[in-house]
Amino acid sequence: MNRKWTRILAIMLALVLLVAFVPGCAKKADPGTTDGGTTPPKTTIKAAMVTDVGGLGDKSFNDGAFQGLERAKAELGVEIKVLESKEITDYESNIDQLATAGFSPIFAVGFLMTDTVSKMSTAFPDVQFGGVDEFFDPVPANVVGLNFKEEQGSYLAGVVAGLATKDKFDSKLNADNVIGFVGGMDIPLIQKFEAGFIAGAKSVNPDVKVISLYAGNFSDIAKGKELGYSLIEQKADVIYAAAGAVGLGTIEACKDKGALFIGVDVDQYETVANSGDVMLTSMIKRVDNAVFETIKAVVDGKFPGGTIKAFGLAEEGVGLAPYHDFDSKIPQAIKDAVEKARTEIIAGTINVPTAR
Amino acid sequence: MSAAEERPAAPRDWASIAQKVGTPIASVVLAILIGSLIMWISGYDPVAAFAALYQGAFGTPKAFGDTLLKSTPLILAGLGLAYGFRANLFNIGAEGQLFMGGLAAAWLGLMLAGQPWFVSLPLLILAAMLAGAAWAFIPAILKARIGAHEVITTMMFTYIARYLVSWLVVGPLKSPGQIPQTGLLPVESQLPRIQSLFSEATLQAMPFLKLGRAHTGIFVALIAAVIVWLVLKYTTLGYENRAVGYNPFAAETGGISVQWTTVKALCISGALAGLAGAVEVMGVHHRLFDQFSSGFGFTGIAVALLAKNHPIAVVPAALLFGALSAGGGTMQLMADVPQKIILIVQALVIFFVAAEGIITYFIKQRQKEVTSHAG
Repeated sequence: MNRKWTRILAIMLALVLLVAFVPGCAKKADPGTTDGGTTPPKTTIKAAMVTDVGGLGDKSFNDGAFQGLERAKAELGVEIKVLESKEITDYESNIDQLATAGFSPIFAVGFLMTDTVSKMSTAFPDVQFGGVDEFFDPVPANVVGLNFKEEQGSYLAGVVAGLATKDKFDSKLNADNVIGFVGGMDIPLIQKFEAGFIAGAKSVNPDVKVISLYAGNFSDIAKGKELGYSLIEQKADVIYAAAGAVGLGTIEACKDKGALFIGVDVDQYETVANSGDVMLTSMIKRVDNAVFETIKAVVDGKFPGGTIKAFGLAEEGVGLAPYHDFDSKIPQAIKDAVEKARTEIIAGTINVPTAR
Repeated sequence: MSAAEERPAAPRDWASIAQKVGTPIASVVLAILIGSLIMWISGYDPVAAFAALYQGAFGTPKAFGDTLLKSTPLILAGLGLAYGFRANLFNIGAEGQLFMGGLAAAWLGLMLAGQPWFVSLPLLILAAMLAGAAWAFIPAILKARIGAHEVITTMMFTYIARYLVSWLVVGPLKSPGQIPQTGLLPVESQLPRIQSLFSEATLQAMPFLKLGRAHTGIFVALIAAVIVWLVLKYTTLGYENRAVGYNPFAAETGGISVQWTTVKALCISGALAGLAGAVEVMGVHHRLFDQFSSGFGFTGIAVALLAKNHPIAVVPAALLFGALSAGGGTMQLMADVPQKIILIVQALVIFFVAAEGIITYFIKQRQKEVTSHAG
C-alpha cells in the first residue's frame, strides 16, 4: 500500500511540475513576440469591446455589438478584439487590459458597466469609450453614450400587435382583444419598451387590453415560460418580450400554447431555432449600426466624445425585422399602418412616450 | 515483519496525507490537461493560453491583486460550505445567505453614514454575519425539527433572497438615476484597498504592494479560515459538529444534541456566506445591486469539495478558482481563447474532485478485499 501511494504521489508531482513549468517556459518567450508583433503600425485603429456577463452568443446586444466590430474590420480595416466577462469584477480588468494594450475605441456593452466606464475614462484619458445602453451625466469628454429610442421601435411592434389581435390571419389569434408584454427588470430602460408598445397598440386599437408582466431579471428562461403561460391563460394572443434570455422561455410558451411572439434586440427569427411559426416580427436595436458608426467616426477623426447619441427610427438605430414566415399572411393594411406610423414618428407628428 | 513493527503509525499517516493532498492536486492537473486537449482540438494553442492565464493571474502585482479580489468571497463561501459539510449538511443555498449578508452590509452602511470606520466596519461585518445566519436559521429549524432537507429549503430561500434584493434595488433602496442600485457606501463603511494603506513612497520602494483592486477583505477571509480551523479542531462546538457529521446516531448516544448541532452548523455556515456577501459589497462594489454576486455561493461548493472541507485548504482552493477567473481576460486578449474554456476547466476540476470520491471508494473496497484475503 505504502509503495503504491508513493508511486502515485511521484507521478502526480511529475505532472504538477510539467504543467507548472510548461507555461513558465513559454511565458518568457511570449512578451517579446507579442510586443514585436504590435510595433509595426499597419492599422492605426484598434477597436475592442467588453461584453457583459451574458457574453457572446447571447443572440442579443453582445452579439449585435460584435457584428458592428466585424463590419468595421471588413469595411474599415480596423483591428478588433473582444473580451468576454464572466463576472462583474471582470469589467474593470478587461477594459483596463484593453486600454493598456492600446485599444481605442473600447465599447462596453450594457448599463451595468456605466460606473466602470466612468472610472476607466478618467484612468485612460487618451482612450475613447463607447457605452452601449449607458447614460452619463455629465458625459466624460472621451466617452460617447450609445442609447436607443427603443420606445419608437416598440411603438411599431405595438401597431402590429394591436392590429393582429383583432385579425384572424393566423389560427393562433383568438377572438379576445388582449395582448401581452414581458419585461426583464422593472426599470426605466425597459419601461420605455413597454410604454412605446402600449402607445402603438392603443393608437390602432384603443380598446385593446395590454397585460404587462416583469420577470425581475434578464436570465431566467423558466420564468419567461411561466410568464408566457400566464399571459396566454389571460387570453393574450400576441406577446412582446423585452427581457433578454427570459424571452426565450416566452417563445417556448407561445409555441406550446399557441400564441404569436414579437422578438427584441435582434431579428429573433434568425437567432432562435424553430421559432418561425410564432415569430411575427422583432423590434431590432441596431447595436451593430451604433458601434459601426462610432468606429467610423473615430476613423474619420470625428469621435463624438462627451455626448449621448440616441439612435432612433430616423438614424436606423431601431426598427422592425422582416415578417419572414408571416409575410404572406399579414394583411397589407397592417403593413401600411406600420409604415404610416414610421414616417409619422420620423417626421415628428407622433411623439412616443418613454414612460408608462 | 520486524521492520514493519518498528514503524507502525508513521507510514500510514504519510499515505493518508498523500492521498488527501494528492487527489485534489491530481484533479486539478487532470482538469488542466483535458482542458488543454479540448483547446488543442478546438484549434487553440493551450500552452499560450495557460501562459497568458498565468500571466493574468500572477504575472504582475496588479494581476495577483485581481486573483486575491476574486478569491476573497470564494474563501468565505467555501468556509461556510465546508463547515456545513463537516456536519454532513449541504448548504446549497449559500448564495441566498450571501445576498442577505450583502444586503445587510449595504443597508446598514448607508444608515451609518457619518460614523467613524472603527464603528461602522465591525458593525457591518457583524450585521452581515447575523443576516446570513438568520437566513439559514429557518431551513436549519425545519431540518432539525421535521427533517425537511436543507438542499431544498436553503435553495428555495436563495430565490427569496435574490428576488428580495432585486426588488429592493429597483424600489425602496434605489438611488436616483437610471440604474437599479443603491447609493455608494460612505468611505468609512468601505473595506479599503490594500495599496491604499501604504504611502506613495512605500509603494514606489516596494512595487509588489501595488495590488490594484485587492482589498482588505482578504484579511477578513484569512482570519475567518484560521478561526474556523481552530473551532473545528479545538472546541466542543467543532467536535460536536464533526461528530454529528461522522455518525449522528453515535453522537446522539454520546450525549450530543443532533438537532441543536444541526441548527448551529447551518447558521454558522450561513454567517460565513453572509460575510462573503458583505466583503463583496464593502470591498468591491461599494454598493448593492442585483447581480453583485457572480454565483460565489455556488462556486464555494466546488471550493469546499476541492479543499476536502479542510478550512485551511479552502484558501489555496479558492485561490485556484480566483486565478482561473482573473486570468481569463488575459487569456482572451493574448491567446484569443474564449472565456468559455475557463468554465470548462472549472467544471472539469469539479468533475474530477467529485469523481475522486468514486475512485477512493473503489480503492477502499480493494483494500478491504486485500486485508480479508491476507487474514
